[in-house]
Amino acid sequence: MEKPSETILESANSWIETQQKVALATVIKTWGSSPCQIGSKMIINEKGDFLGSVSGGCVETNVINECLELMKNNISFKKIHFTIQDENAWSVGLACGGELTIFIEQIN
Amino acid sequence: MKTEVLKEIIKKKLSREDFAVLTNLSTSKSQIFDSKKLLSKEFENYENEINNYYNLKKNGVIDGTEIFILNYISPIEVIIIGAVHIAQYLIDLLKNFNFAVTIIDPRKYFTTEQRFKNIKIINEWPNKALEKIETSSNFALITLTHDPKIDDPALNYALKNKFFYIGALGSKKTHENRCKRLKEAGFNEKEIKSIHGPIGIKFGGKSTPEIALSIVAQLVSETNKLLLNSKK
Repeated sequence: MEKPSETILESANSWIETQQKVALATVIKTWGSSPCQIGSKMIINEKGDFLGSVSGGCVETNVINECLELMKNNISFKKIHFTIQDENAWSVGLACGGELTIFIEQIN
Repeated sequence: MKTEVLKEIIKKKLSREDFAVLTNLSTSKSQIFDSKKLLSKEFENYENEINNYYNLKKNGVIDGTEIFILNYISPIEVIIIGAVHIAQYLIDLLKNFNFAVTIIDPRKYFTTEQRFKNIKIINEWPNKALEKIETSSNFALITLTHDPKIDDPALNYALKNKFFYIGALGSKKTHENRCKRLKEAGFNEKEIKSIHGPIGIKFGGKSTPEIALSIVAQLVSETNKLLLNSKK
């Protein structure tokens, strides 16, 4: 359930208004235990500043890098899947044993 | 996502209405959806599935499609009687949850804007103030003055209008006397028992922020029960 009190989109808007490129990452699927619910969001700008969260710190670094690539290469969106077997997820430590899919997209 | 859609979502959130945001994961096109809104080309083939998820307030990728739906639910309304010190801590804690807060207190010297920034304050007696609000059973009431002439009219109103959560601050003795008055006012035992009094869960704290935390814990617990039941 998305809570309107969350202000991540408002922050995205204020970044955009200061002429920054912004990517939005959203949790769209989870399996097993996952600390963030479907709909959890994170925003990233070109400098790598970020707000919000898509996991309990397990995959954030990876998602930030993917978003930076997305903006650099001007790709509009991408789906990223993390599992416990996933080498990337292991290296950043998906300790909860869950799986999740994150949709990243540019806001423009 | 287009910047226009982002701005539209931000605007819609302020309307305090339920709505959903649809995203086509194979194109990244998105739109706002509510019961009145028509589906754009991107989504019109999945009308039944979308309505199904929307009505159940279900979030996620709709089975067998590339459509992602995220529901935004209107905030639960919380009315606080008494712009006292605890209210300031309460507001700080409530900010982290999906609540819309209104404070009612007829005492002008309590309700200064300096103490309550960006909070809706009604500077009137509760019975007059509550008349002006369109309430429903999705409302919660927290009374903090422990002064019968301010708290009681609000408690009467909340019981009659079946607020899902009613909590009243005050000692056991204060609450006993309160229950007696409510009985005299014609409320039955079940109604009176539905009031959480003394308010809050017990964890042994006596300081102002601890009392505020115990109230928020109880309110969130009752709110989760309400949301769970509304999904069934």
